[in-house]
Amino acid sequence: MTVKYLAQPDLEFIAQIKGLGGDTLKKCYQCATCSVACPIAPEDSPFPRKEMIAASWGLKDKLISNGDIWLCHQCGDCTDLCPRGAAPGDVLAAVRSAAITEYAQPKILANAINDPKKLPWLIGIPAIWFAILAYITMAQADVMTKIFNIFGIAWSHAHEGGDHVIAQANFFSTWFVDLTFVPTATAVVLIFFFSLKRFLNDIHENAVLEGKTDKTTLNYKEFFQALLKVIPTVLKHEKFNECESNKDRATPHMMVLFSFIGLFIVTAIFFIVLYAFQTPGPYSQLNPVKWLANISGVALVIGSGLMIKNRMDNKDQVSTYKDWFILVLIFSLGLTGMLSEMARLAHLQFISYTFYYLHLIAIFNLFAYLPFSKMAHLVYRLTAMTYAEYGNRK
Amino acid sequence: MDKKYGVYICTGCGIGDTLDMEDLVEVPEEEGVNCTTHPFLCSKEGVELIQKDVDEGKVNAMVIGACSRRVNFDVFNFNGCIVERTNLREGVVWPHSREAYPALTEDQKDDEEHFDPIQMKAEDYIKMGMIRVEKVKLPEPFKTETFSRKILVLGGGVTGMSAALDAAKTGYEVTIVEKTDTLGGYAGKLRSQMPVVEPFESLQAPVVESLIQEVQGFSNIEVKTNCEVARIAGQPGEFTVTFKKPGEKIPFDVPFPLPEEMLMDENGKELDAEAAHAKYLEYNEGKNDILQLDPNGLLYGAVVLAAGWRPAVLEGEAYEHLGLNLDNVVTNDEFEMIAAKGKILRPSDGKEAKNVVFIQSPGKDEDDADFEYCGSVTSQVALKQAKYVREDYEDGKAYVIYQHMRTPGLQEYFYKSMQQDDGVFMTKGAVTEVAQQGDGIAVTATNTLLGENLAIKADMVVVAGGMVPVTKDDPVVNLAYRQGPGFRDNDIFGQYADSNYICFPYETQRTGIYAAGSIRRAMTIEESMEDATGAALKAIQCIESSNRGMAVHPRSGDMTYPDFFFQRCTQCKRCTVECPFGALDDDEKGTPNINPTRCRRCGTCMGACPERIITFSDYTIDSIGSQVKAIGVPSEDDYEEPPFRFLALVCENDAFPALDMVGMNRIDYSPNVRFIPVRCLGSVNVIWIKDALAQGMDGVILIGCKHGDDYQCHFMKGSELAEIRVKKIGDALSSLALEEERVAFTEIAIDEYDKLPEIINAFVEKVEDMGPNPFKGF
Repeated sequence: MTVKYLAQPDLEFIAQIKGLGGDTLKKCYQCATCSVACPIAPEDSPFPRKEMIAASWGLKDKLISNGDIWLCHQCGDCTDLCPRGAAPGDVLAAVRSAAITEYAQPKILANAINDPKKLPWLIGIPAIWFAILAYITMAQADVMTKIFNIFGIAWSHAHEGGDHVIAQANFFSTWFVDLTFVPTATAVVLIFFFSLKRFLNDIHENAVLEGKTDKTTLNYKEFFQALLKVIPTVLKHEKFNECESNKDRATPHMMVLFSFIGLFIVTAIFFIVLYAFQTPGPYSQLNPVKWLANISGVALVIGSGLMIKNRMDNKDQVSTYKDWFILVLIFSLGLTGMLSEMARLAHLQFISYTFYYLHLIAIFNLFAYLPFSKMAHLVYRLTAMTYAEYGNRK
Repeated sequence: MDKKYGVYICTGCGIGDTLDMEDLVEVPEEEGVNCTTHPFLCSKEGVELIQKDVDEGKVNAMVIGACSRRVNFDVFNFNGCIVERTNLREGVVWPHSREAYPALTEDQKDDEEHFDPIQMKAEDYIKMGMIRVEKVKLPEPFKTETFSRKILVLGGGVTGMSAALDAAKTGYEVTIVEKTDTLGGYAGKLRSQMPVVEPFESLQAPVVESLIQEVQGFSNIEVKTNCEVARIAGQPGEFTVTFKKPGEKIPFDVPFPLPEEMLMDENGKELDAEAAHAKYLEYNEGKNDILQLDPNGLLYGAVVLAAGWRPAVLEGEAYEHLGLNLDNVVTNDEFEMIAAKGKILRPSDGKEAKNVVFIQSPGKDEDDADFEYCGSVTSQVALKQAKYVREDYEDGKAYVIYQHMRTPGLQEYFYKSMQQDDGVFMTKGAVTEVAQQGDGIAVTATNTLLGENLAIKADMVVVAGGMVPVTKDDPVVNLAYRQGPGFRDNDIFGQYADSNYICFPYETQRTGIYAAGSIRRAMTIEESMEDATGAALKAIQCIESSNRGMAVHPRSGDMTYPDFFFQRCTQCKRCTVECPFGALDDDEKGTPNINPTRCRRCGTCMGACPERIITFSDYTIDSIGSQVKAIGVPSEDDYEEPPFRFLALVCENDAFPALDMVGMNRIDYSPNVRFIPVRCLGSVNVIWIKDALAQGMDGVILIGCKHGDDYQCHFMKGSELAEIRVKKIGDALSSLALEEERVAFTEIAIDEYDKLPEIINAFVEKVEDMGPNPFKGF
């Protein structure tokens, strides 16, 4: 370690971190109580002591590309024990938030998602879009049928002869759903791909520079093997639970994670069955797929509801706009989905459609903004944890 | 004074239960002195009993056998009477219990085999008390011929002005002497000063302007600018001060002692006294002797020394790698001057300096020491100057690289607030290099909080220079004292004008001269102002004590002073040389000239004098010597196995209170030791030791305060001198065929009372192993 590090403090970065909930970053006087207190900090150059001085010096380069910030599960032990009233947990959360924005492209969208003033736009644009599509589905079915017939494709996926059945497809064409979300998902995957490529290279470089790894190059095969090892850890929330004071938070977080996985499976099955077997929904309540969907939906509502409650109860932890944005979004997503289904089963067509409309907007907000919102931690943390496994970070 | 003696013994507090009062009362009565006992002597009735005897003219010199003289001193206080407090309680019955030393049965009393060590000790103490009241006199206060109540303040900076204001507000006349042409000192040149009010977060305008205005508003403050002190002669209450223009040479400039190298001849041999004196006169040619008073000199009562500090000159190894030769590398002093002019601009080209690195320590070596004379103040100055950078430029960045960041007291809030500043970056670290790099400066540091090797690009670098006390260059006070114009031993305090008294911060080693502010240790403006108040109060105390012939410190109120029987003086000069306070000035023949108001009444001169011609009215060679002789030394004529007898001379400042604490804690030690408190071990004249051994006592132990760099000796040199004297007495003892070990020297701190019994017993056992003094019984 003879390489000189040229410190280039960035005053704007300091202001950014302060704005993202890390306003105590300058209080640290480097006693390292936090690093001792942290139940999951590695023994070798532990966090968050070094992250705190880097933050107070505004060393953006050292922090954004630092894999360690993603290893933290923000139990808040460091914050509780800090003798100086600094909150390293919140500072790291703010740095993570800044890192997501930094790696996400396009920047305009990334900035908009962090700006409460832009919220009407974020909701309004999909709302208008879905309103137009709903109008077309409802009022212009004939025109659409004609257009689709040109290509020899059936327009409606609605139940045959099921006028009496309420089907969301009658309100909003499945074609439109998929024509909206398939390209969105593709874009999200591409954005993540490029972001993660940069991110992985950066955290590797940073780890080499700071001596946090025994690897000198990135071997993707080995990295993938590390990923396979890490996934069970993530699913079981092992790291999460190592943070003693996190126990309360682990269960709701687990519920949300597993409900997303369940809903992903349901959506995938639905998609395949629809297009491969031409069998549209809604499924019968007796269908096992429906069971999974319902269980997941309920878990999502309860899990995210508990998370909101925890945040409201925990006055010590800083909760920023970004945190509320994602929590309220997930909660609304689950709630509108469930309410829409319930209304459908109760034969309340208008109410069911209204909730479905709101549900679509929520889904769009979650998906389209995934690489820019706090939800992106899913991939960054997974990558960083995989890298730590790969790089033998101990 | 026609002495009328009386002895009063209290039988309370266990004294009557332990001691055989009938036998004890016989001791004075055998001498024909009336002895009264009372069960509760310090009660109203008890005191009235004595007062009645005093009022009736029956008694004016009394021995009170009761508790230690350290308690109830206000109760047993009888005007115009000599009072000796014999310590029967803490000294006899409390440490030695009847469980350990059972009382004798009637049969045992005269069997020449048994004896009662507690009773023996009590009876000895009564005898010793009685002889003392016989030997001492009531003191008559010394009055100076003339007396001035004016206070002289040396230095017109913040400290000097504050001291002058504090003294002037209480009605004293004050003169401020300032070397430069304006008041204000260094603080007058600052852009801002550190915060002094809650919440201690923002810099404020220097207080200097308002202080100057305030000083000008007082008619009893006289300001002499462009002025310094040529000499201060005389003593507190009547200091004769000669002023002059800085740099001027006048006959009343104070003579300086010969530098050490001039005390040798060409062959490196030490010059004899005459040759040295001739050289001294040659060295100080044109200057009047110290004893010659300036007829035009002005009289002052006391002096406050507030001459302050100067910025350190940064040279030498510690600074070599710090690029001080570069234009844009400056000292904190130079930076302050740049800041005072306006925005921070680079000296090289006048461009804005937005990135400034502050270096607080030499770094480089393993050693994490700061620069010389740096400390908490320079730490705070770095923070203050970092603030300048932030004040001047919104995108300014100030870096502080330190080994120690010291922000004592409420200045911690200032540190915290600076830490909160987005553009201030601090790290512990060792700076390894400062070099020009293109247009800017590259600073490299290692072992930082940010990792091994840190590089910073800067527009300017500021190196912390220390605050050097001006006493390093110059005595400043220019005292016309035989011991020299400055304070002694400043070298052990880094040349700060500080006596380094643990308990008495303002005292210097010269009575009547009180140091304050940064000349004493590096201080902030706020601290200096507070310090000035302390020194002003001390100066007032000095005036208000000297005018009544009282000692100022530490024997405050003592009205005795050394009296010389000059007919027998051999002009050996030992008293002049050994006085820790330079109170004595010898004339050209070597006869000491006493300055009683300079004196602290420690008696070091009395201990030093080989002719034993120095006395205090209540403390003389004879008074203590007679007490020694009053101690009963039993021999084989009295008992088959007579008890050993030891003398302990204990310093009344630390050792004696510690001994009282041993008594209060009822810890036993050998009852065969007789303790005599002395003013200071420095006052112990070896004749007392010789007398004790000559009369058959088996050993003598001296117990004093700690000396050395961290000394606790109230008189600085006392215990050190006593140790030297004890060593020298060894030769004399061996000529008498006595073991050197029979005389011991030890030192304890006041809080080490628990060690005292061990020390005493160990000495007693050692001497007992040697066997009894062969002179016993002669």
